Parts: sequence; C-alpha cells; structure tokens
Amino acid sequence: MKKTHIIAIVIIAAAIGVITTSLSNASTYGNFAEAFENPNSKIQIVGYFYKEKELVYEPEIDPNLMSFYMTDKEGKECKVVLNQSKPQDFERSEEIVLKGKVVGDEFHATDMLMKCPSKYNDGSQQVYTD
Amino acid sequence: MLINNYFEYHYIWHHSSKSLPLRYVFSAFWEGQEGSFILWSFWHVILGNLLIRSAKNWESTVMTVFTSVQIFLSSMILGVVIMDYKLGSNPFTLLLREHPQFQNNPLFSNPNYLEKLDGRGLNPLLQNYWMTIQPPTLFLGFASTLVPFAYAIAGLWKRDYQGWIKPVLPWTIFGVMILGIGILMGGAWAYEALSFGGFWAWDPVENASLVPWITFVGALHVMMVQKIRGNAAPTTFAMTIFTFVLVLYSSFLTRSGILGESSVHAFTDLGMYGHLLSYLVFFFGLGFVMFFINLKRFPKAEDDAFSSREFWMFIGTLVLALSAIHITIMTSKPVINLIFGTKMALDIGAQERFDIYHSFQIPVVIIITSMIAFAQFLKYKKSDGKAVMKKLTVASVLSLVVTGAIIYAFDYTNPYYILMLFTAIFAIFGNADYAIRILKGKINKAGSSIAHIGFALIMLGALLSTSKSIVISENNSTVDLASLGELKNNENILLYQNDTVQLHDYYVTFTGKRKEGVNIFYNVEYMKKVGDKFVTEFTLSPRIQLNPQMGNVAEPDTRHFWYKDIYTHVTYADLSMPEDTDPDKYGELATREMKVGESFFTSNFKYQLDSVYVNNKVALDSLNDSTRIEVVANFSITDKEGKTVKASPMYVIENMESGKIFTMPDELAETGVILSLNKIIPSENKYEISVREKNSVKKDFLVMKAIQFPMINILWIGCLFFMVGSIIAMINRMQANK
Repeated sequence: MKKTHIIAIVIIAAAIGVITTSLSNASTYGNFAEAFENPNSKIQIVGYFYKEKELVYEPEIDPNLMSFYMTDKEGKECKVVLNQSKPQDFERSEEIVLKGKVVGDEFHATDMLMKCPSKYNDGSQQVYTD
Repeated sequence: MLINNYFEYHYIWHHSSKSLPLRYVFSAFWEGQEGSFILWSFWHVILGNLLIRSAKNWESTVMTVFTSVQIFLSSMILGVVIMDYKLGSNPFTLLLREHPQFQNNPLFSNPNYLEKLDGRGLNPLLQNYWMTIQPPTLFLGFASTLVPFAYAIAGLWKRDYQGWIKPVLPWTIFGVMILGIGILMGGAWAYEALSFGGFWAWDPVENASLVPWITFVGALHVMMVQKIRGNAAPTTFAMTIFTFVLVLYSSFLTRSGILGESSVHAFTDLGMYGHLLSYLVFFFGLGFVMFFINLKRFPKAEDDAFSSREFWMFIGTLVLALSAIHITIMTSKPVINLIFGTKMALDIGAQERFDIYHSFQIPVVIIITSMIAFAQFLKYKKSDGKAVMKKLTVASVLSLVVTGAIIYAFDYTNPYYILMLFTAIFAIFGNADYAIRILKGKINKAGSSIAHIGFALIMLGALLSTSKSIVISENNSTVDLASLGELKNNENILLYQNDTVQLHDYYVTFTGKRKEGVNIFYNVEYMKKVGDKFVTEFTLSPRIQLNPQMGNVAEPDTRHFWYKDIYTHVTYADLSMPEDTDPDKYGELATREMKVGESFFTSNFKYQLDSVYVNNKVALDSLNDSTRIEVVANFSITDKEGKTVKASPMYVIENMESGKIFTMPDELAETGVILSLNKIIPSENKYEISVREKNSVKKDFLVMKAIQFPMINILWIGCLFFMVGSIIAMINRMQANK
C-alpha cells in the first residue's frame, strides 16, 4: 500500500463523516400541519402571501418586525411573524419560502425568500406601448 | 435584431425596451436562458478557431469533441417539436404567431402595431455595468473548460497520456484565471450593487460556478505533476473530465428549475429538464467510458516520496476535490430529494449557510494555504528536509509576527480563524520569499507565486472582512433581548428626517431625498463628534429604483476607506416625493384600539387617551328613545418638544329609536391633526380611534441597514495579484510551447 493511498483514505473517511453529519442536520421542507406537530424544530415552508388578511408593518414601532398571513401548498392558512423589515414589493410576491418554527398559534420566521413572477419569467401577459 | 428594437420577436420584447441604453442592450441579450446559450456557444466558436490554429496534429480529435458539444448547445435554442417533445427553446419566435396569449390583444388589430410596440425592458436589478461584463467573463470561463476536456478525450482516444499536457497547460491557466475572475466579479457585483449585504452568500447558483473552478485548479496542478513526472495520468484525466462535467451539472442545476425555491437567481424552467439532463449524461458517460477503457493502460506509478513536491500536490488536489464534492452535495439537496424521496431543504438563512459551508471549507482553506506556503520549496522526486526548513524560517517568523499583530488588533479568539489567518499570511510570505530568493525576482517565472499570493490575499481579505464585519445599524439598547426569544434580528434601524442617531462610531442623519429619473436617492449623512460639534465625514446616497412593471429594487451605496468599507442600504422607505404632495392635505388614516390611560406614538406626536365620559348623563329611568347621548374622549397630544394640546372627539347617539349614530371628529388645524372616536367596544373596555395628520407635519423616515466591512480591500488587491500572476504564468507556458 502506498503512502499516498493511506493518507487519501484517511482524508476521504473524515470528509464522508463530516458530510453525512451535516446532511442529517439539514432542515427540511414541510407545511404548517407538520410545523404544528413539532413546535420546536425549524422548518422551511413554501407558500403564498394571503392578500385578503391584514399585513402589519409599523417601522415606527419596530422596523424589524412584520406580520401577515400565508397559505401553504396544502391551503392551510397561518399567521406569520417575520423578524425582518418589509421587503420591496412584498405584495407582488408570487411564492414565498419561510424558515422558522411554531410559537403558540403563530409561525415565527427568521428568514424569507420571495419569488416575484415578473422578475425572471413571464407571468404577465401585458403588452407595453410608449 | 436586438439593437434595432424588433419587438415583434418574443425574446426581444421580453428582455429589452426602447429606452434601454446600448450597453444594456448587450446585457438584455444574455439575460434570458436562450441568449446565454448563444453567448456560451459564441465563446466556443472563438476558442475553437484559436484551437484550430494552434492544435496542429491534435486538431482532428480535439475538434470532434468540440463540435459534439456545440451540437448539443445549439439544439438548446432550436425549439423544434419532434414527436410531441419540444427540443430546446427558440429565442426567435414571433410574438403574434407563436405566443397565443397575445393574439387577442387589441393592439395587434392595429396594422401599424409594429411602430407602437415596445419591449418589457430589462429587469432593473440587472441594469448595471456588472451585468454587461460579468456574464460574458463567466461564460468564457465555462467555455474554456471545454478545451482541456476535448484534449483529455483526445488523449484517451489516441492513448497518448503525455503529449496533450503541454499544449493544454496555457489553456488551463487561462481558464482558471477567467473563471476565477468571473466568480469574483459576481461577488463584487453582489457587494456593490445588490442588497445581499456581502460578497459571498453560498447561494446555490454561486456555488455552481465555484465548484468547477475548484476542480479546475486541481486539474491544473496534477497536469504539472504529469508533465514533469508522468505518473499522474489517472488523476489528471479524472480531474479534467470532472471539471467539464461539473460545468454541465451546474448549468443543469441552475437552468432546469430544480433549484427554484431556494435561490434568488436561478433561471426559471423552460421545459428543458430532460434535454439538459441528456446533455449532462452524454458527456459524463463519454468521459468515464473513455477513462475506464484506458484504466489498465495507464503507466504504473511508483510511490512518491514524502518529501517530494508531487506528493503534496496530490494531497492538495485530493483536498480540493473533497471541497468540491462537499459543496456539490450540499447544493444538490433538491436532486438528492428527487432521487431518494427525502425532504431536505436548501437553507435560506444566511447564518445557517455560513455554518454549513464554513465548517468544512475553513479547514480546507487552512490545509490548502499552508501547502501553498511550503510546497514550492520542495523539489520534485525528493528534497532535503533540513534545507527546506531552513528556507522557510524567514517566512514563518514574519508570518507569526504579523498574525500576532492582527490577532491583537482585531481581537481574534476563534482558533479556526486564527489558524486560517496564520496559514494565509504564511502563504503570502512563503511565496513572496520564493519569488525573491529562489527565482531571484525573475518576473516571467514568478507567475505562479504571484497568483498564489493573490489567492492567499483573497482568503485573508475574506476572513477579515467577514468574521469582523459589524452591522452598525443594529440597535440593542432599547430592546430587551431576552423577551424577544428567537426573534432577535435587530439589524435595521428607523431614521426620521433630520434626527441624528448614533450608529457605532458615527452619528447618522437622514437629510432628505431626491428623485432623478426612475431613482429615488436617500441622503444619509455620516458624522463624527469633535468636541461637542458634529462634523460631516461623508454622505451616502443609497437608492431605490422604481419599476412598476418588474418591482422596485434597492441599491446600496458604500463608502470606501483603505482599511474599511461602510455599506448602507435602504430596506424600507416612503416612495412618495414631498413636492408631489400638498402640505395642507391630510395623509392616510391610521386606526387603532385603545383603553383609557393608554397612549401611542406616530412619527410626530404622542397621543394619550386621558379619559372618556358621557356628556349629558341622564338618569336611567328618564331614558327614552329620543335621548341624545354624547360620548367624549379626551386626548393629550404631545409633540417632540414637549408641547401638549388637547383634543376631544365625540361619538354621538342621536336617537336611540332610529339608531342614528355619528362621530364628531376633532380637527386641530394648527397642529395638523384630525382625531375621531369611531367605535366603543364595551366588552373589552376599548375604544377605536383613528388619526390623520397633515402632510406638512408628517416626518419622512427611512429604514436602513449599515454594515462595516474591515480590510475588504485586501480581497480586491488579491484578485489583481491572482489575475496578473495567472497572465504571466500563461504567457510563460505559451512561450515554452513554441
């Protein structure tokens, strides 16, 4: 057995160990029902901003807090408290991804990613003229 | 077609508009997926032509591989339907003919519609000079991985494992340089113009471009070993083929829509999933079939000595390969989910991403930078350990001193960071020493040393600026952190116009805003306190770009000092301009519920509900249907200077029988406030109040985030070193080949 091979095997074994542990610690996608079953674990939920219910963002009181309602892909609706300032054009978002966990009957999110339909594809069918 | 605004073509309508300046028209060309395919194959054509001139007896085999790649690429933009399967996506479709949703649009019944038609315009997020230069650079980098791949396949084909190395070396150095610069430009773009708050976020799309670069660097180093020792053939072929396959894999990840939910800048699905996959599988298959056919024929390698340069270059390449595998697996969670039915999420939290990647990649950087530091001093085959140690003394002593100074100045305690700090500095001094003493300052030989110093500087700059960045807009003083629990993000701060707030070392004032075209600039003045006076240090103007069609975009503004950057960006602000609003008009209605004794704040006043009473208290027995009842709410309104005025809105029940009810708001014209009592909620003992304030008294505000990045210039200087070093090394190799 060559020295190179021995060292290679040792390094690869260590790497596999690290990769498997970090994969097993990965957060998971889910929905509100699952989030309520495990109120202490962090989860990522894909859903839609529910426009009919109130959105509260009062920067005078706290610029880092907004609350709104979201429906997940199963259609379940839940109040969300997001610990971020309100992003530009939040109302126009098509799909949002939230990361957080359930506290009481609310979903407390620390991060949000939103997809706007018009930014990268053609959700709109309008024709603009000058 | 794009330049002449032929908007009847869908792609052009989709990505461009009449008002777009020429330099952005180029950007519009590669904004979409189809355009970027054309750009990619354009670079292939350029590189291919250069290859034909230089490849000599390798031309026929190399160009066969080249052409087969080009066939796949051009098929991406064919858009032909074969047996119900749409192959590729044609960017040259006409709006009217092939996009049915436009057919009913009344505009098209006008025979002159072509004159009136305008495009949708380029996404404002991408109207930026980086968009003009970064994608072509990155795609040139991607395209340049094809040359070594084509040579490697040709080498396997001809069973010549040695001859292809020499001609391919300058190409590989060129590719490593261009791809590296493309990635760094992406980082600079994110840092300067986008509101990510940093230059690297481990976003899946960023990772997808980084991974092939890492394996490309590994391939370059084993090529050197193969050239000199001839015993690295399997590793060299494997790394070269891997690099190209990873480029294809990254384009599959970013273009198939599989990343969709986890990345800000993935393309959307054009229905080319299967097509992209077949492209990937074909070349992956080709590479590895060729590799295994030849496996038994590779020359047998003897064991490398522990003190040889090639031994450490192998280990380094192995570490690089593992680093690439780690990033690939972490980025491929959606693919793993698809295969194994798991539900692992690609993390969207910035901190979590840092934890995931840094736990693996910081040790990788530590190993790599320390190897960069000493491996140059080793000789191929075998070297004298004592002599090497002696040569390294100067560099290691200097590094220890500098590392100590930095630990003291920046107060480092994390052992990982300290180790990385030391190895990066060691790599800088080691290579500088090597270039000066061993190469005696011969610049044409020092290319690799300079490029290595560049890489080490980039790592050092990244470490200092990331680990010691401070969100100076963070406000911990007024909030009880413990009560917030998980929700403790406090990074954005509210500034009222002309109020001064202390942010770390600075006193900051929002002085006003101005509108120029589609941009609203918000002026933020940074001041220092000298004695008891405020002295303006600099003014930043972060902006919000208005785009009703595609959404508004915030762009940061950064003040550069040699030792730090102050980065500022608007997270939320009022977009209306004061000149567009009538100061005497009342603004929007704000409604809330409150109890007696409670108070609330607006940007200008404190409203306190002192008491509520019924004006004409009548005895219950005399109560009849025509009794008029007035409920009066007494408010104290206090402004910022402490001046208090009273207001008494009323709620009147005119007639019990008819149930006629009305509210009598109280207008304080001088103060600029209208208060009304809308509703009484007896069950909760609460009152619903609404307030409107005059535009003239409303204070403008902005919510912003400011970050201080120390020593980030080391990173940019490193980029320069890396580029210059690579160019010197490339020229040196080209001359050697003549």
